[in-house]
Amino acid sequence: MPGLSDRRVVLVTGKGGVGKTTVAVSLALAAARRGKRVLLCETQGATRVPALFGRPSKGYEPTQVATNLSTLSITPAEAIQEYVLLQLHFVRLYKMVFQNRVMGPFVDAVPGLHDLVQLGKVWFAERETENGRQRWDLVVVDAPATGHGLTMLGAPRAMMELTRAGPFYENAKQIAELVEDPVRTGLVLVTTPEEMPLRETESLHQRLGAFRRLVAGVVLNEVHPLPVPDLERWPEERLRLSRSEDPAMIPTLRVIDAELRACARQVDARVRLRALGAAYAELPFLFRRDLGRAELESFTAPLGSLT
Amino acid sequence: MTQVVIMCGSGGVGKTTMSAALALRFAEEGRRVMVITIDPARRLADALGLAELGNTPQRVPTSRGELQAMMLDAKRTFDELITRHAPNGDVRDRILANHYYRFVSERLPGVHEYMAMERLLAIVRADDVDVVVLDTPPTRHALDFLTAPDRMAGLMDEGVMRWLVLPASASGWRMIEMGSDVLAGVLKRLLGQNTIEDIADFFAGFQSLWGGFRERSVAARALLRAANTRFILVTAPAPGARAEALAFLEVLRRDAMPFAGFLVNRCAWPPAPAPAWPAAAGGDDPASWEATTRAIEATLTRHRALVATQEAAIADLLAHAPRGANAWRIPEATGEVHDLSGLRGLGMALADSGALDVLRGPA
Repeated sequence: MPGLSDRRVVLVTGKGGVGKTTVAVSLALAAARRGKRVLLCETQGATRVPALFGRPSKGYEPTQVATNLSTLSITPAEAIQEYVLLQLHFVRLYKMVFQNRVMGPFVDAVPGLHDLVQLGKVWFAERETENGRQRWDLVVVDAPATGHGLTMLGAPRAMMELTRAGPFYENAKQIAELVEDPVRTGLVLVTTPEEMPLRETESLHQRLGAFRRLVAGVVLNEVHPLPVPDLERWPEERLRLSRSEDPAMIPTLRVIDAELRACARQVDARVRLRALGAAYAELPFLFRRDLGRAELESFTAPLGSLT
Repeated sequence: MTQVVIMCGSGGVGKTTMSAALALRFAEEGRRVMVITIDPARRLADALGLAELGNTPQRVPTSRGELQAMMLDAKRTFDELITRHAPNGDVRDRILANHYYRFVSERLPGVHEYMAMERLLAIVRADDVDVVVLDTPPTRHALDFLTAPDRMAGLMDEGVMRWLVLPASASGWRMIEMGSDVLAGVLKRLLGQNTIEDIADFFAGFQSLWGGFRERSVAARALLRAANTRFILVTAPAPGARAEALAFLEVLRRDAMPFAGFLVNRCAWPPAPAPAWPAAAGGDDPASWEATTRAIEATLTRHRALVATQEAAIADLLAHAPRGANAWRIPEATGEVHDLSGLRGLGMALADSGALDVLRGPA
């Protein structure tokens, strides 16, 4: 099984709010530092990445945000236009069909089309050439959350099933071949140590079916440091502290208790995630809500075990 | 008249648990409450009696008031609507068996939101509960709940129907010439002949139901602007939440839908000043006691920094919200909420946050 860095496309997914974007950006930065030309794609119109590098978003156009690292935001509407124009070849015809008041919502509602065209954009990027060589060594995708991410992976097959023939069928087949190939495509699952995201990660891993071969890494995000040096001594020490008459001791112990609960959850999370059998990495909780470039750079080292 | 509370927010912010806690709290204040949840965690579903019977409201045991809970199954709701409103068994069976319908009812983005609106409308029209709390599907953007019904309604637009389907002739159910040969040719080229036939067949069958769907979708959208409706944005105390909140508020404002406030979930506990440390006792190793107090002070310092970035994010959210908007802070839970007593604890936190006063008050 190839390491993450040998693949052409890496899709990052996980429950909402667990740090998919953080992991996607850090993986992209790590590869860029090693000299790979990396394209990081946000999906569903999200434009969080350029701001992390202090740059304005150019939307669907690649924006270079660091050495060897560019990013773009895939919106379904723009992806449909690019995808369909490749099939129809005529802008006028495209406009007639897709910008038609009557047809627009109808075509827009073709099942799975949004997911398919977003993967289609990734597929274009993967094969894009510049001066006779591949433009991108690696395409990292900040994919939709778990359930939707799985639907997206299945979108090419769903389109093949729906159309059963024709150019959409043929093209969906090519995309399916890319996203189902564990040599070229890898999947990274991200979770925090909370029960809900953990369970969602385990359940996704179960439901991946044939896509399970793609899983190239599991990342446990927001790992807290131990708040006290010695867990064995702590119960006795806590008892002493709880007898203090200083009113500040109550909120102090509440904070420490919360941190200890977080640490206990991590122990359980590690066991469960390692049981999934993929390369495993952990990122520390940095005790701030506003991660910037410096923090993301610091994550490239702990993610090294995936590459 | 039934009060409607709609809990929006992107996936992972704790909407489902918060919706259940709010509903239980309202019920135990003595009201008749219905909560429509989306895919709660297994044990929470068990606690709410939803493990087996998803799409049908279940009575939840409460100390006071009445609580019914249901888990929305969009596909089943859609099937039931088709079954109830189809003019005859032939139309019903043809729609339910149609290839395109099966895709639409299971996978079409927006169908879940649309069916949630149908359920909401039915409950409000039945008028036998005091409050409905609606949990919305987990999406990347809170906004999706607001825009999805319009997309579905757009699909059922009269123009589309006319274009796709010639009025049903006396022989009924024959398909269906495409309005324009050029367009039909393009679509066939893109999607294949089979798909076009499936789609046209679906719309031909759906034609007789279209009026009812249209009427209800208009009524449901009016319900979202009603005086008794409140939107809450459940969010995280992080800067990433701002862009989403702004887009969400913009649509609420544009469509005159009533915003109640931000429910900021999983906030860090308020910071603690460093306490005075008791001296090491006789039996202690003074060095390890000192190591412990140092480590705790370091944790408190990190925690203060965390609260500072959290409060900056909340202040930023409020600075971009309408004047007088509320941010209700819910502290991170002490454990996973998976039973009624856990929900009651969260209900207390909701009361402490001030959210309930606003939701109970006049619009």
